[in-house]
Amino acid sequence: MEKIEYTDEGQFFSGHVACAGCVEALSMRVILNTLGKDTVGVVAPSCSAVILGGHPMSAAKIPVLHGTLESAAASASGVKRALKAQGRDDTTVLCLAGDGGTYDIGLQALSSAAERNEDILYVCFDNEGYMNTGGQKSSSTPRNAATGSTPFGKTTRKKNLIEILAAHRIPYIATVSPSHLNDMAAKIAKAQTIEGTKVVIVLIPCLPGWGVADNDAVATARLGVESGVFPLFEIEDGVRYTMTKSDKSDAINGYLKKQKRYRHLTEADRADLQAEVDETWSRLLAQAETTV
Amino acid sequence: MKDIRTPLWTHLTSEPRKTGTWRSALPLYQNESSPCLDACPVSGRVAEWIKQVKDGDLRGAWETLSDNNPFPAIAGRICHHPCEIACNRRDHDETVGICSLERFVGDMALDQGWQFPLPTKERTQSIAVVGSGPAGLSGAYQLRRLGFQVSLYELKEELGGLMRYGIPSYRLARDVLDGEINRIIAMNVTLHTRHDVTDASGLRDLQSKHDAVFLATGASRPKPLPGLDYTQPWVVDSAIFLAATPNDQAQMTGAHVLVIGGGSAAMDVARSARRLGRKVTVLSLEAEGQLPAQEVEVVEAREESVLFVSGAMLQQAASADGVVEAGCTRVEFVPGGTPGSFSVAPIQGSDFTLMVDTIIPAIGQDADLDRWAQLLDPDGPVISTDGNWQTSRKGVFAGGDLASMTRFVTEAVGMGKDAAHAITATLDRDCAALTPPAQAFVGNDRINTAYQADHARSTQPVVPASTRLKSFDEVQQPLTQDQAHQEASRCFSCGTCIYCDNCYFYCPDMAITKLENGYSVDPDYCKGCGLCVAECPTGSIHMQEDELT
Amino acid sequence: MNAPAFADDMQLLNGNHAVAWGVRLAGPDVAPLYPITPQTPILEKLIEFQSSGAFQAELLTPESEHSAMAAAIAASATGARVFTATSSQGLLLMHELLHFASGARTPIVMFNVNRTPASPWGFWPDQIDSLSQRDTGWVQLYSENPQDSLDSVIQAFRIAEATNLPVMINHDAFYVSHSVEPVSLPSPEAVTDFLPRQARDIQLGDGSGRSLGAPIDQASWNRTRRDLDEAMKTVEQFAIDASQVWEKQTGRASAPLEFYRYHDAEIVFVTMGSMCGTAREAIDRLRTSGIKAGLLKVRLFRPLPNEALRDALRGAQHAIVLDRNYSPGTGGVLHQELRSVLFGTQDPPRLHGYLAGVGGLSVPEERLEALATEVRDTVPAANSLWLE
Repeated sequence: MEKIEYTDEGQFFSGHVACAGCVEALSMRVILNTLGKDTVGVVAPSCSAVILGGHPMSAAKIPVLHGTLESAAASASGVKRALKAQGRDDTTVLCLAGDGGTYDIGLQALSSAAERNEDILYVCFDNEGYMNTGGQKSSSTPRNAATGSTPFGKTTRKKNLIEILAAHRIPYIATVSPSHLNDMAAKIAKAQTIEGTKVVIVLIPCLPGWGVADNDAVATARLGVESGVFPLFEIEDGVRYTMTKSDKSDAINGYLKKQKRYRHLTEADRADLQAEVDETWSRLLAQAETTV
Repeated sequence: MKDIRTPLWTHLTSEPRKTGTWRSALPLYQNESSPCLDACPVSGRVAEWIKQVKDGDLRGAWETLSDNNPFPAIAGRICHHPCEIACNRRDHDETVGICSLERFVGDMALDQGWQFPLPTKERTQSIAVVGSGPAGLSGAYQLRRLGFQVSLYELKEELGGLMRYGIPSYRLARDVLDGEINRIIAMNVTLHTRHDVTDASGLRDLQSKHDAVFLATGASRPKPLPGLDYTQPWVVDSAIFLAATPNDQAQMTGAHVLVIGGGSAAMDVARSARRLGRKVTVLSLEAEGQLPAQEVEVVEAREESVLFVSGAMLQQAASADGVVEAGCTRVEFVPGGTPGSFSVAPIQGSDFTLMVDTIIPAIGQDADLDRWAQLLDPDGPVISTDGNWQTSRKGVFAGGDLASMTRFVTEAVGMGKDAAHAITATLDRDCAALTPPAQAFVGNDRINTAYQADHARSTQPVVPASTRLKSFDEVQQPLTQDQAHQEASRCFSCGTCIYCDNCYFYCPDMAITKLENGYSVDPDYCKGCGLCVAECPTGSIHMQEDELT
Repeated sequence: MNAPAFADDMQLLNGNHAVAWGVRLAGPDVAPLYPITPQTPILEKLIEFQSSGAFQAELLTPESEHSAMAAAIAASATGARVFTATSSQGLLLMHELLHFASGARTPIVMFNVNRTPASPWGFWPDQIDSLSQRDTGWVQLYSENPQDSLDSVIQAFRIAEATNLPVMINHDAFYVSHSVEPVSLPSPEAVTDFLPRQARDIQLGDGSGRSLGAPIDQASWNRTRRDLDEAMKTVEQFAIDASQVWEKQTGRASAPLEFYRYHDAEIVFVTMGSMCGTAREAIDRLRTSGIKAGLLKVRLFRPLPNEALRDALRGAQHAIVLDRNYSPGTGGVLHQELRSVLFGTQDPPRLHGYLAGVGGLSVPEERLEALATEVRDTVPAANSLWLE
């Protein structure tokens, strides 16, 4: 079996207040330790902010600026420019935000930072809803998923943020999953070496928000990857697509069954979701195949 | 002094916050039994030695194997491998080739000349072991390891019992057999060959000279087949046939041999006869696919052009004009609840006749209980023993086919081991008999197969049928080093930690510390989520409820 | 006109270009900027300076004023000297972050060009945009003319960095922003002396690993506001010091409160920004007519120099407050503020509040001259009155 290989250098401390079994905390551990100490963080209000914060204690060894929800990318830009002005071009500026702060309210600032190709690494912990406020839908919530604001299931699709970002032609976009920690560490390390705007989207099955058991978020994420619901891939310069995993299983049922937010689904609903996944997957594969 | 010029900077780490108070259960690292270990007749620590093979520590693997079985090269060839049948990997792709790995390790040990160490502490007490089959040799070996002086009594000139006189060399090469037996004798076992303990007085004599006696004389009496006249020259007993040299076997058989039986002995007879150039038909009560012989034996017999007539029995046989007419009938065969028991019902009007030259019944053998009749109580066809292999006579223990109807070589090896420990417990209050392995084992549901790539089993090369019929050389060839490593890597290591660090890396709370050889959980921070357990590929961690304080 | 006579160190600059010159001389490290009428000439001039190599700041041009302020806060927390500029809608879009900036104690200097907020759309001088931000924790300065704007920018950095408070300077759209006047440019050396670079005690990424803005409990949040309060109380003195040092270097004072023909005035105009110029003209006319009129110019609006205002207004018979802003339900913001300043004092002047030039209407000096006469026999209304 493949061993997990990144080194924990103590960049993320015990005693944080993430839910027991939270894979956002798990992912943060990988990301912070991969980036190392010469990093400054900016965090948007989100579970990440709660996990890291709680003055006078911080779970991150690196300094973190707790910014506003809609301006995480702008704040990160400000930090980077200040460091640049001090001749510290090599310091990594890491921006952590949720899907609400990325797909919704923060999209404008992110788009602008991407357009300016600010030298920041933007990580979106995508738990497909406003989970820190108790679980309301965001534009990242997938079709049919029940949330506090879509009790009978959301009627529209999840926003395809990745294609929006690709249209900005930023140097690097990647998707990662807490079920594939080596891949996560490798992509974060790769992103760190690239100058310009890098966006990494992390699938975060939210225990209370999705109705997943405390010990099951990694398995749920793994099923998400394996069923093609959340494909792992990279896009370089907005056009070069590389599939990290170029096969998928036939069925998303196993993934759906792990989650209470989908328990009201009918067979027809499941078939619709499957068709959506299949269609997105084949488009993605086609894009990867045209990449030479 | 209060500084009104700066904002509140957060300056402490979160470590003072002890999130362990949230927890209701804590992960507990505990190696547990596996299906293979549970099924193993010698309780061999399968996952442990296979990991050693994977890690390239073949010597270590051999030592682990030898704790429970001094015959890895033999068992690797002929064991009926209930371990493989139980293997959790079955539902993933194919079971792990445990036997081929065991053979690989056993062969390596013979090739390298590795020897068993002498006991660090010699005891003055001596034990008589009667019979040098798998049970007797296993008992002698374990008793020597425990420091006892061991005298081994064997009726025949050569050691090995069934392994030598019942298993043909194309399944078990004689240099392998000799090598693994000699290694035991080299532990300073006192040999008494051609020594028959024929009766009660002989047993009393042994008891007077030794502190305990272990009887492992096997099952040497052929079961009689009703309707068959054993005095006829065209009837040959399977045990005699298998014990004979090929030349003698040729003398005993005509052109068409009818073998009666469906077990390993029947296959051994049939395939040996094929090597003599005979036409061979196997007649078995059991229907096709239900034969008690190992599947590989049946497959190889078919490859060797052995003919099978299944679901039928012999009713009478008679010789006429130099040809034996074997009158048979089809039967309904229903296996019974205990090993060896069954019922058959002939099917009316299904009679048929086979024209053969020799009939070799191979329907099993019984233990010879008569000679102990005055001293030891029987239990049906075997000697009665208590839970610790002690017979009705104090100080006399029995094992193997003499005491059990579970008739496999490795079962006998296991009985020899258990009896040795039971004997020790009676002679030394400080030593306990072996406790039976835990009933619970790590099932498939506790194995996280996400970490296992699909990989087909590495199979041992087999000599083509046309070649192997020309000699009694071994059919199954060993794995290569690379194949062995690959096969070892397929083991799920159910219930045995492989130090993969998944638990360490999947902890969102950094509550797990890597130790030299293992892990510790920090109760100050563990929130009890169970991700470490869920992502453990081997099922060697489980959650244990915290005690209420 | 009260503009100084033209000298060798002078250039003809409009108010916004004077601001840009002030910024160039102050030398911020980072300047996030977003265009908006009538602020845009500040942005354009700074980019022109940068293109010519005369100005080295990291310029960001994000998609909104909100992001500009977010970047400004982050850069300032990371130790940079930061400048930004905006106007009206842009300032209002920043509102959330104005609170954030003061809470995070980031010494940002921002220039706001006072302009009417929509709806309906207008582009005219009116101070309600910045006055409605009075509770956000920013120091607010109001400038009368291009020279004042330049001087204020440089002094603002000194006040901001002394107190770790953000400072907003305001001047009126077009009346100041686009009016060209001779402006004296201080030497770069003089500005460097006035604004020495001082390392922040703590800043983001300084190696101490400290984080800023983390979620906090009630008592700690309360403490941040007490600290803010203490810091605000020091601003007036820092502003006075800055003015005095600046006066030594340039001969120009720009104190929290400024006075014109004031020492014996019986009728005083109290106002902010460009209206001060109109008031000076009216006062000159009134003095010619023998009426003892004077001007109290409120330059530092936040924190409001309460004691200094009480002292200044002691002895005046009538105070006419001219508000070029309208706070619905209240009236003029400065009028409201002065009422509370004077409340409880002995023999305060009669306080007459007028909403003068709201929406950018021109207020002729003759109207102010007439007003001074009218108020002598008028009992002040409780509310501000629309100046007809």
